[in-house]
Amino acid sequence: MSIVEAFINGLMVGGLYGLFGLGLALAFGIMRVVNIAHGEFIVLAAYLGVSLLTLTPLPLPIVVVCVAAAAFALGWVLQAAILNRVVGPNPVPGMVITMGLSIVLRNALVKIYGSNIRSIDVGALQDWGIRILGVSIGVLPLLIFFAAIMLFVATNFLLTRTTVGRAFRAAADDFEILETLGYDRRTVYSAAMGLAVTLSALAGLLLAMRSSFSPFSGAERLLIAFEVVIIGGLGSLRGCFLGGLFLGVVQVVGLRLNPNSGPLFGHLAFFVVLLAKQMNFSIRPAWRRA
Amino acid sequence: MSLLALENVDVFYGDLQATFGVTLHVEAGETVAIIGANGAGKSTLLRAIIGLTPTGRGSIRFAGEDITHQRCNLVARRGVALVPEGRRLFHSLTVEENLLMGMARARPGPWTLSAVYQLFPAMRELRHAPASDISGGQQQMVAIARALLTNPRLLLCDELSLGLAPKVINEIYSCFAGIRDSGISVVLVEQDTVRARNSSSRIYCLLKGRVTLARTAADVTLEEIKQAYFGDRGS
Repeated sequence: MSIVEAFINGLMVGGLYGLFGLGLALAFGIMRVVNIAHGEFIVLAAYLGVSLLTLTPLPLPIVVVCVAAAAFALGWVLQAAILNRVVGPNPVPGMVITMGLSIVLRNALVKIYGSNIRSIDVGALQDWGIRILGVSIGVLPLLIFFAAIMLFVATNFLLTRTTVGRAFRAAADDFEILETLGYDRRTVYSAAMGLAVTLSALAGLLLAMRSSFSPFSGAERLLIAFEVVIIGGLGSLRGCFLGGLFLGVVQVVGLRLNPNSGPLFGHLAFFVVLLAKQMNFSIRPAWRRA
Repeated sequence: MSLLALENVDVFYGDLQATFGVTLHVEAGETVAIIGANGAGKSTLLRAIIGLTPTGRGSIRFAGEDITHQRCNLVARRGVALVPEGRRLFHSLTVEENLLMGMARARPGPWTLSAVYQLFPAMRELRHAPASDISGGQQQMVAIARALLTNPRLLLCDELSLGLAPKVINEIYSCFAGIRDSGISVVLVEQDTVRARNSSSRIYCLLKGRVTLARTAADVTLEEIKQAYFGDRGS
C-alpha cells in the first residue's frame, strides 16, 4: 500500500470517524449531555447488525434500517426515561449515568457474545477493487465513505430545512424561549438523542463492515469521537467531518509508516491540535449553519 | 370573566420570595402596564404567568382555566406568548428561522409571516440575516413578531425599551395599535412610567414584590405613581 493509497484509505475511514464525532457533538451541543456510553452504542449497533444478519434471512439494507430504527428508539428512551431528569447546567450527573450504562452494556455484550473479535460479512463485495491512475481503491470502503457523506448531507438538511431540526438548534440556543413557543423541551431532547444515537449506530454498523470489533471496542470509538469533536469544534457539521477526515488520514498513514504504531499517530496528532488550540474551546457552543 | 386573573400570587426563587400576594387581572382586548423599579418582581410575575418559574402560592387563571402549575409549553399553546427581557432570539438561527419557530406550534389566527412582515417592513429584507447580526431595535421587532406568530390571546412584553434609542422605542410602540386591533390583550412591563401610562388602559405598580397601585391609566397622576414606585421615601 503506497502512501497515496494510505491517504485515500484514511479519508474513507475518516468519514466514519466524523460520524462518530457528530453523534457525540449533537448530544452535547443540544442538551449538554456528555454521553460516555457513546462508544458502547456504536459497538452495540454492530452486534445487533451481526445478530440480525446471522439469525434472520434479512438482506443487509433491511438490517441497516432495522438497526437505525432500534438506535433511534434506544436514544429516545434513554433521554426520555433517564437523562431528561438530570438535564441542566451541571453535566456531571449525565456523565455518571452514561458511564454506568457503558459498563453495563459492555459486560452484557461479553456475556451474550463472548469476547471474540467479530466483523460483519458483506460477501464478495469485500474483495472488489478499482484502479484509478495506478492507485487501487476498495469498492466497499468507497461505498461506506459515500454513505458517511450522505448521512452528513442528510443531517445538515434536517438541521437547517426542517422544523424539528430548527427546534434542535433553537433548544441549544435558549430552551426557555423554545418552551414559550409551545415546544416541550423534553420531547425535543428525546428526538435529538434519538438522532445522535442513530447516527452513531449507523457509523458503527458501517465500520463493522470494514474492520473488526469486540465488546471492548467502545472505549476506543469513544476516544475517536472525542478527538474528532475537539479537533473539529463543537459548533459545526463541517468541523466534525473535517476533524474525522484529519484523524482518519493521520491514523492510516501513520500505520503505513509504522505498522506497529496502532492508533498512536492519531492520538499524537490530537495532542498537537490540543496544544495549538490551547484548550480554548467554548463551553457554550451553538449550532450554526454548516 | 377576566382573560387573565392572578390571585394572591407568591413566587419564590429558592428561599428568596420575589412577589407577595399579587392580585391582578387583564380583560380581553385590554392593555395593562406593570411598572416598578429594578427588582420589584415584574419580570418574575411574567415568568410565573407563562410557567417558566413555578408559582409558590396563589392561583393563576387564564380564560377560566387554572394554569397555576401548568408547564410552560402548555400555557403557551393555550394562547399566552412572551416577548422576553433582552429579546433572547435564537442566535444561531436566521431572522426568518426565528419567526418559523414561532409559527410551528401556532394556534390558528390572523398572524402569518406576511402579516408580521407588513407590521415590520424592514424585517423582510433582513430575513436571511443571522439573528445575532441585526441591530437591537430590529432584534426587538423579531422577538415581538416571533411571539405574535404563535397567535396568542395574551401577549406579555418585558421591557421592550431596554437598551434602545428613543426613536426606535417610538417605532416599536407605534406598532402596538395594530396588535391591539387584532384583539390581543397585552401586558406591558416597563420602567418608563410615562410611556407605560400613555400606552395602556390600566396600570399596576409593584414595589418590592407587592402591588402598591392599581388604577385606570387616565386617572392616575405622576405624583401617585411616584409614591407607589418609590414607597414612602419618595414623598
